This record gives sequence, structure tokens and C-alpha cells, in this order.
Amino acid sequence: MTLIRFRSDQGPEVDLSKTYDAVVVGSGAAGGMAAHVLTSQGMKVLLLEAGKKIDVNAELRSMEWPYDHPRRGNAPPGYHAIRFNEYNIRQPPYAKGSAFKHVFSYVGGWGGSDYVKNILVDEKDNPYTGTKYAWVRARVLGGKTNIWGRLALRLSDYDFKGKTHDGYGEDWPISYADVAPYYDKVDLLLGISGHKENLPHLPDSLFQRPNKLTAAEVKLRKALQGMGRTATPYRAGVTTDGVKNKYRSKCFGRGACGRRPGGCDIHAAFDSPTGLIYPAMDTGNLTLRTNATAHEVLVDPNTGKARGVSFIDSQNLKTYVAKAKVVIVAASTLESARLLLLSKSRQHPNGIGNSSGHVGHNFCEHVMGPGVTGMVKELVGTEPTLDDGKPGGFYVPRFRNLQDKQPGFVRGYGFEGGAGFSIFPDSAWDTPGFGGQFKKSVRDHAGAFINMGGFGEVLARYENYVDLDPVEKDRWGIPALRFHYQFSDNEKKMCEDMVAAGKEMFEAAGIEVIGEDKTIRTEGWSIHELGTSRMGNDPKTSVLNQFQQSHDVKNLFVVDGSSHVSASCQNPTWTIMALAWRSCEHLADEFKRGNL
Amino acid sequence: MTISRREMLQRTAAAAAAASLPLANVVPSPGSQAPKPKFFTPAEFALVDEMSDMIIPTDGESAGARAAGVAAYIDGRLAEAFEKDEPQRWRAGIAAIEALSREMNGGKTFMQASAEQRLALLTRIAAAESDAKSDAEKFFKQIKGSTIQAYYTSKIGIQDDQHYKGNVIQPGDYAGYDAT
Repeated sequence: MTLIRFRSDQGPEVDLSKTYDAVVVGSGAAGGMAAHVLTSQGMKVLLLEAGKKIDVNAELRSMEWPYDHPRRGNAPPGYHAIRFNEYNIRQPPYAKGSAFKHVFSYVGGWGGSDYVKNILVDEKDNPYTGTKYAWVRARVLGGKTNIWGRLALRLSDYDFKGKTHDGYGEDWPISYADVAPYYDKVDLLLGISGHKENLPHLPDSLFQRPNKLTAAEVKLRKALQGMGRTATPYRAGVTTDGVKNKYRSKCFGRGACGRRPGGCDIHAAFDSPTGLIYPAMDTGNLTLRTNATAHEVLVDPNTGKARGVSFIDSQNLKTYVAKAKVVIVAASTLESARLLLLSKSRQHPNGIGNSSGHVGHNFCEHVMGPGVTGMVKELVGTEPTLDDGKPGGFYVPRFRNLQDKQPGFVRGYGFEGGAGFSIFPDSAWDTPGFGGQFKKSVRDHAGAFINMGGFGEVLARYENYVDLDPVEKDRWGIPALRFHYQFSDNEKKMCEDMVAAGKEMFEAAGIEVIGEDKTIRTEGWSIHELGTSRMGNDPKTSVLNQFQQSHDVKNLFVVDGSSHVSASCQNPTWTIMALAWRSCEHLADEFKRGNL
Repeated sequence: MTISRREMLQRTAAAAAAASLPLANVVPSPGSQAPKPKFFTPAEFALVDEMSDMIIPTDGESAGARAAGVAAYIDGRLAEAFEKDEPQRWRAGIAAIEALSREMNGGKTFMQASAEQRLALLTRIAAAESDAKSDAEKFFKQIKGSTIQAYYTSKIGIQDDQHYKGNVIQPGDYAGYDAT
């Protein structure tokens, strides 16, 4: 357990007088991977992160008991996490007029926790406007990889070639065969746990040992086998056998991974700093600049090419210029779109890389909320077992619109779920009454529940987009993002089907359905926003080519989820990293040939 | 090592019995060693302490909300609450309980009433749990929610009552079943 080493974020001094080979904006999964690949190819890289420099290791108290924390893991007074009903009854900017000292977005089980208060942005400083949207942003080294759910899935040609399959939307300019070698590289570098299933629509990774299932999960898995469906152990971006990385340990199944003090202090769970950035710093080729809020990609007036990035120091409020031969934008799907749109020049009047007018458009994600809760009768009253010593429970891959054709909607959804004993008996909230009977009932039922919720593909549509608000600005005077985004009938029909199919599967497994949730969560809830600068072969209808390179500006790359052509229904982090690796390998080759 | 449910029951029953001894007198007497509440008045604290322990009492398995310090935890959070309407809701809810107690029990406060009378009051407001209307009924939901949160995050709740098995290092095989 003391195998891992800590590294300070200190690298080479930032030297803004020099021109770096590449500047990378953003240090999450995409930016971290860009930094990792480019520095390994010998390029001198400057990495800009808008977040403050915090000692994440000091924030991580992974094995702390709730009762050893003064507020049982909750944030101090004056810190407010926006609630579901607030997102729905109010309009952004949600923190406007709030009496709270700090306002944060919801974020899964970590909403309002002490852990996220130093990771998520303060909505008071970072407003946005337009249609309702739960926009979760992390400004800190590593970005959202500090809080991600760790479900690490591949896409297949059902996704990359979705249009060919069902006629909707656009195909990606790449196929699974193009990406598969890079998925393999990501698997081997970072470690992924899972069980081989040989499913064409959810390709297997190069798995390390899988997490195990609980009794209820086994029951569901067996029943689904009879239906031609699968409940597979949570495919986690967590190394269970270890990787060659001195900053990371293998997972010891300590469990309660989502607990409110938060995080994985041995970094068995992938995060960008220990997985990618610290090893990149060890090459001597990476320079890190935190507190650096990029607000414009600068353009050479003669060539129209990118020449660097202008950023504001979030603390001293001064503006600086980072000069580079290549600019790589990896600020997250929505922040990247914002940065491109902010970068207006004579050559690029609609924002850099936006001759197509598609930047900000085709914005998509995963719709979530609907799900089912069941009870396994034979588990009532059984002795407690260690059921949550793992990063997640199970995953039911997509089963709709593969061979069949649903009448109400195109594309599909998967379920994430879990079952068994956990550190907190959630069923207590719904157990009626009080006294000895209440207490015994909570105890007896604590391990008997199973639940799962759907994650569905939101169709990429041109009409769903973001642009810059003409008036609203953030704390640093940078124009805020404005949302024009809502779910369509396809998503609503799909969500109805999630509930029906969830019940059907539990019933098939002999699991009593005790609850169904039909409520679609606010747009943005999945924190899987994608597709604002999509790839494509046609520069008129896409922003990037198959190497995430701008059609308009050849030394500009956008390597995060912005580039995705469709959302698929699989969680995107592993694909983001595989694509960034592929593109940056191409980038380094082109750079060496002098083609950028 | 596995311990059977029966063994655990016996052990914790003994522990719970021992733990509950010094707390036999539930109303803090003047000069008692109990720390002064930070938000509640002593009378309010006594009511919250008693009602939380009626919601999650000591049983054969584990000690209840009183031993787990539920009232003190709630008191601490309310004392530092940023939203001042939250502590005020508690104060108003307690006042509603006292008013109901006086009405039901010939002018006696909740703590002055007999154990049977307190139980009758709690049973009455809990009956409306799924559709709480009066202030007293709403208070039941409020104190029950806070009691659940505080109790099941306490050491007694996690270790003695739930016998939570996680937060341990599994150096070898992970617990659970293989996917086959």
C-alpha cells in the first residue's frame, strides 16, 4: 500500500518567452493523454490548466470513516450544491442572486460533498445562460478524472457507423478497426478491469482481473443470459493487477469508492495526473501552468495558423501569451467550443476552425434518470457480506436496435447498476415507520436490493448547440456560454422503454420490482457532453478531420469529446483517450515532417 | 473468520446493554456532565435526543440513536447552518410537538409525558408519514431523515448495527462471485 510515490506538480519553470512545440489547453483525460503522447515523442509541451493548483493527495481520504469527518463527508456551511428541482424550476445562471458563499453543480453521489468543493468550479464565478443544463465542470489538475465514475467502455461500429446501420445522423470518418489498436494501448497503459463477453456491440478490452458480482447480480446475469442480454461486471478504468507506473497501485478492493470524502488515494482508479501527467513530467518535456484560463487561440496574421494561446491568470488576473507551433484544445466538450468561438480574428471571423459554422452544434450526450429498483426476497435477513469492495456493480450493454428495430426510437441505451450491502443502507429513506421494527427492517433488507439506471444515446442534432452569450461574462470577463439544448421525442421514448425493459429484466430474474423511476434528469446530468466540434470528411459539415485536426487550421487540434460525431450510449472517457492517442501520434509524425 | 448472526447478536446485545447504562436518565439534570447544546435549548435537545432514540432505539443487535450521539450531531450542524431557516424549522417543529403533547396529555410537555404517551404521540404523527400535513407531522419526517443520516453514518450504525464489511484491504481475491 505504500508502494506508490507522490510527485509534486513542479516541473520545468514556465518560460513564456520561448515558443513551445505544442501548447495543450486542459489537463483532463484528453489533455493529459495529449501531453503524455507528445512528450513521449520528444516534443516540448506546455500544459495549461485553468484550475488552481491543489494538492489532490491531501484531499483524498479514501479510507476515512464517515464518523471521523466532522460533517460526515459533507461540505462546510455556506457551500451549496444545486439540487435537481433547482435545475428544473430555475433558469441558468443558477447561482445568480444566491445567498450562499459558494455554489456548485450536483455531481452524482458526491453532490455537496467536502471532496468536490476544491474540484468543481464555483458557479458564482462561472455563469452560463440559456436553456436548463446541469453543467458539471472541474477546474483542477486532472479535471473531471478526479470525480469520474470509472466505467470504461469501448465503442463499436454500431456507433462509428451508426448511419450505415440505421440511417440516422452521420457516420464517423473512422471505424472500429482504426481505433482498436489505440483502445489496446490505453488498456495496457492505464489498466482496465472487466470480463470478456465477445459482444460485437461492446468490444472487450485487454482486461485485468474483473471485479466480482454480488449474489443478486449473479441472479440477474443468469436470467439475462436466457434473454440474449448481458449483465457484466462493471468495466472499470481501475487497475486490478497493477501497471508500470510508480504513482499508481493496484486496487485492493477497499470499496466504498464513491464515498463522500472521495477519490482513490492509491490511484488504482485512473486519474489524469498520476496516469498521464506525472509520467509525462518525468520525461522532462512537460511544463505545467496552472491558474491559466485560456480565452483565445491566437492567430498568425500572415498565415492564419495558430500561434499560441492567450490566458488570464485566475489569481493575479494578468493576461499572458503562451507561444507554440501547435495548439491542442482539450478543455472539455463545452469549454473547447467556447474557446474556439471566442477566438475570432480577421481570418476566422466566426471563431477559429469554424468556417463550417458547426462549432458548438451537434451537441449530444447521454440521457439518464429512468431506472428500476428490485428486491431479492431470499437475501432478506442474510448475514452482511462485503459487496461494495469495488468501483461499480454491473453493466447491461445496449440491446435495442441492434438486430431489432424499435418502433418508438432509434439507437439504444445501457444500464449501470449495483446490488448488495453498502456503507450506507439507502433503503432506510424509504422504510416507513420508526422504532425497533423500522430498525430491524432496515438491517434485514440492507443487502437485498438491486437497482439499475439507463444511459441512453442523445441524438446529435444541429439544432442542439451552444454559443456565446452577448452580455453575460464570467469572473474574468470572458463571455459566458449560452445553451440552446433540449431532449427530443426520441430521448423521451427511449426513456419510457428503459423503465419497461428494466422491469422486464428484473421480473425475468425473479426479482421483485419495488420501485420505478420515470423521471428524466436535467440535460447534462450524465456529465457526458460530446460533439460540439465533430469530425468528418466534409469541411462544410464538420469541424475536424479524422485526426481531430481542424479542417481550417492545420496546426490546431481539438482532442476531447467535442470531436465525437455521435454520443453512442457508452461512457466516453476511454474513447476520448484512445482518439487523443491516435491523433497525437499522427500529430507528432506530421510535426517531425514539418507539415504543421 | 466469520461470525454467525447469532454470535454477533449476543455480542452486540451485551455491548449495547453496557452502553445504555449511564444513559438511563434521559433528561439532563442540572450539573450533569453532558455538554451544553450549541443550538438547541436543553429542553429542545432532550426532546430531539429522546425522539431520535424512539425512531432508532437500542435493540438486541445494537445501541440506538442516543448512544450514537444523533442529537448532538444534529445540534452541531444546526448551530453552524448557513441557511437560518433550517434551524428555525427545527425550533418551530419542536414547538409543534410540544403543543401537540400538551393537547394530548393534559398540558404535559413531550418529556413530561409518560413513555406510553410519548409513544402514542409519535405513532400518531408517524401515521401521516406518506402525506404529512400538520407541522408536527412534518417534523416527524424531518427528525426521522436526520436521524437516519446521523445514525447510519455513526460508528454504532456502521459497525454494530449494519456490520459493514467494507473499507478493508483485500490483498488477495476480491469478495463476491465470478461472472460465469
